[in-house]
Amino acid sequence: METRVWHYDGRSGERRMPAIVPSADERHFMLQGDGADPGPYAFADLEPHGHSHHERAFGLKGRPGWRITFLEFPPSEIAVHLPKPARYGAWIDRFGLWRSAGVLAVLALLVVGFTLKLPPLIARLIPVSVEQRMGRLIVGNLGTYACASPQGDSALKALGARLRQGDDVTIRVVHAPMINAVAFPGGQVVLFDGLIQNAKSPDEVAGVLAHELGHVAHRDGMESLIRQYGLSLLLGGFDSNISGYGNALLNARYSRKAEAGADGYAIGRLQAANISPLPTAALFARLAKQDEDPGSAGILLNYLSSHPLSSSRERQFTQSVRPGVAYKPALDAAQWQALRAMCGDRPAPAL
Amino acid sequence: MDQQSERGAFEFYGSWREYAPIAFTNLLLTIVTLGLYSFWARTRTRRYLWSQTRFIDDRLEWTGTGRELFFGYLLVMVLVFVPLAGIQLLMGALVSRGTQSAAAAAGLLFVLLYLFVFALGGVAIFRALRYRLSRTYWHGIRGGSDDQGFRYGLSYLWRTMLGSAAFGLLVPWALVSLWNERWNAMSFGPYAFRSGATTDGLMRRYLLFYLLPVLVGIGAVVLVVLAIAFGFNPRAAQGGTPASFTPAAAVLLVGIALYILFFVFFGLIALAFYAAYFRQGIGNLTLGALEFEFTARTRDWLKLALGTIALVVCTLGIGTVFVSYRNWAFFVRHLRAYGTLELDQFTQSTTRAPGQGEGLFDSLDMGAF
Repeated sequence: METRVWHYDGRSGERRMPAIVPSADERHFMLQGDGADPGPYAFADLEPHGHSHHERAFGLKGRPGWRITFLEFPPSEIAVHLPKPARYGAWIDRFGLWRSAGVLAVLALLVVGFTLKLPPLIARLIPVSVEQRMGRLIVGNLGTYACASPQGDSALKALGARLRQGDDVTIRVVHAPMINAVAFPGGQVVLFDGLIQNAKSPDEVAGVLAHELGHVAHRDGMESLIRQYGLSLLLGGFDSNISGYGNALLNARYSRKAEAGADGYAIGRLQAANISPLPTAALFARLAKQDEDPGSAGILLNYLSSHPLSSSRERQFTQSVRPGVAYKPALDAAQWQALRAMCGDRPAPAL
Repeated sequence: MDQQSERGAFEFYGSWREYAPIAFTNLLLTIVTLGLYSFWARTRTRRYLWSQTRFIDDRLEWTGTGRELFFGYLLVMVLVFVPLAGIQLLMGALVSRGTQSAAAAAGLLFVLLYLFVFALGGVAIFRALRYRLSRTYWHGIRGGSDDQGFRYGLSYLWRTMLGSAAFGLLVPWALVSLWNERWNAMSFGPYAFRSGATTDGLMRRYLLFYLLPVLVGIGAVVLVVLAIAFGFNPRAAQGGTPASFTPAAAVLLVGIALYILFFVFFGLIALAFYAAYFRQGIGNLTLGALEFEFTARTRDWLKLALGTIALVVCTLGIGTVFVSYRNWAFFVRHLRAYGTLELDQFTQSTTRAPGQGEGLFDSLDMGAF
């Protein structure tokens, strides 16, 4: 019994209905009758071109528009030579849908995991000069709030020197009531006056400052920006959104790991400088307690939201005390007074 | 071949039950490949939709591949968007120099960049249409265009600019003339598409669309004045009885009602304009001796839009996978063709088939079937 197929030759839109006849070698076939070009054609050149219900269509390699369509299921001596229809795509068809989906899901998780690890890697690739320029631009925005006095500046310098601040770090005090301290990119550290006024001793300020120096050393600020803004930060030219980046860093929540890293750095610096870590621990305890007092929420939230306090952080500082060491205050009384008086009595400008 | 007026030259006989396995496996694979599979997913969807669409006596066939869509996208990213990002970096560097001439150069660069990307949008629209026609086969014959679409990009730029320049009053003209220019460059088999759409009947709807904000603004002012007048003087009007509502609440309520009404009306009129535009565009399109018609009226478009919203909302977003199915079914169901097609003269297209898919269109995120 002969099998007829719908046939287009890809040259004209006329449809022919030739009979498909396999050759003796079983690798080729001819199209006979109805004015069709008889061929022969190779089964191996056939490509699946869709199927629906019982119809199955095939094209021919290198002949766009050439089609044969079986309207009924083809007899088995022809069917065995026909290519299988593609379903999801070559690779997925080979392995099966569910197995492919499983493997791909695992790969996707790996890619996502790697992407999450990417910001610190990229942060380290950014040239220091670029980061410094960026930090200067961000902090330049704070210009009107900056506090300065000769004695205060030298006290800051002395504090920085005791914590062995690097040459590329700039510490500034800004006139704002929030209890906060921020490490911007490029070693720009900003202490808020609210923190200094709230502190009971220069050692507390030293502890917080050392923590921020830790963020500087680990380049956490840049990493945080890359996390939040992604590649647009690098490609878009960052000058256009400086205040946005500043705000993002003010409210940045670093990962637990970054915070622990900065704490470890701070403890190391305090030890090397012979400054007691206990006042810093006491500051943490006090802030946590004040946080429960509804009256001070607005001011405190700032530090706590960006540096979540936990008893383990406090304990770490407490446990780093070495018995028998004669600790020296971070600043003497005159320097401490100068630091506290840096922003004067005028009320803070509205942020 | 004679026209088939009873059944219609076009017929879509797909079923959502048949499509569902395609849609859901597409969704699954797209998720586990982090979106990479979407190119292949779109191809599978189109292959199904095309194959379930009959024109006269045979089905359409989609021959595009996921691979060419994917490579088209990659190619555009590398050839267009990496250089664009470089120019943006250069602009940032110029601005941060701080000198006036550098800032002026950066500004000029920005304007040029904007114009370039705008024109690129036109090129993308043109090439997406060309790609789709070149991958659509019927009776073993495909469509296409000999044009690369760059001239169309320029035309798109100046016509759209001019259209919005005259207080936006020439937008319908821009839309229609661009439609004509696009389709007049396309062909299927041996025949060129001819499009002679005009703005007849479009202008009235457009003016409605255009004047609505003004009318609503006037109405709002009147209502607010009335509300305040009544809210402030209830005592005087009612001889000292205390006011039962405060003026602030009245103003607020009227404001919210107006706000919602505004968007409902605005959407409706936009839809009415779009329906007329589509009817006008397809109704004036011919291919050889074939004429086309699109029968969807504003009511039909509204039903489509509301149905799609309901589908997506009620399934918490999962129904999104059926949106392209709905759109295609809507499109084919309202498409008519009249006239005759001589099959012995219906020879293969001589246009050069584009090598890649609609990468430009995708990367500009312009949305598609």
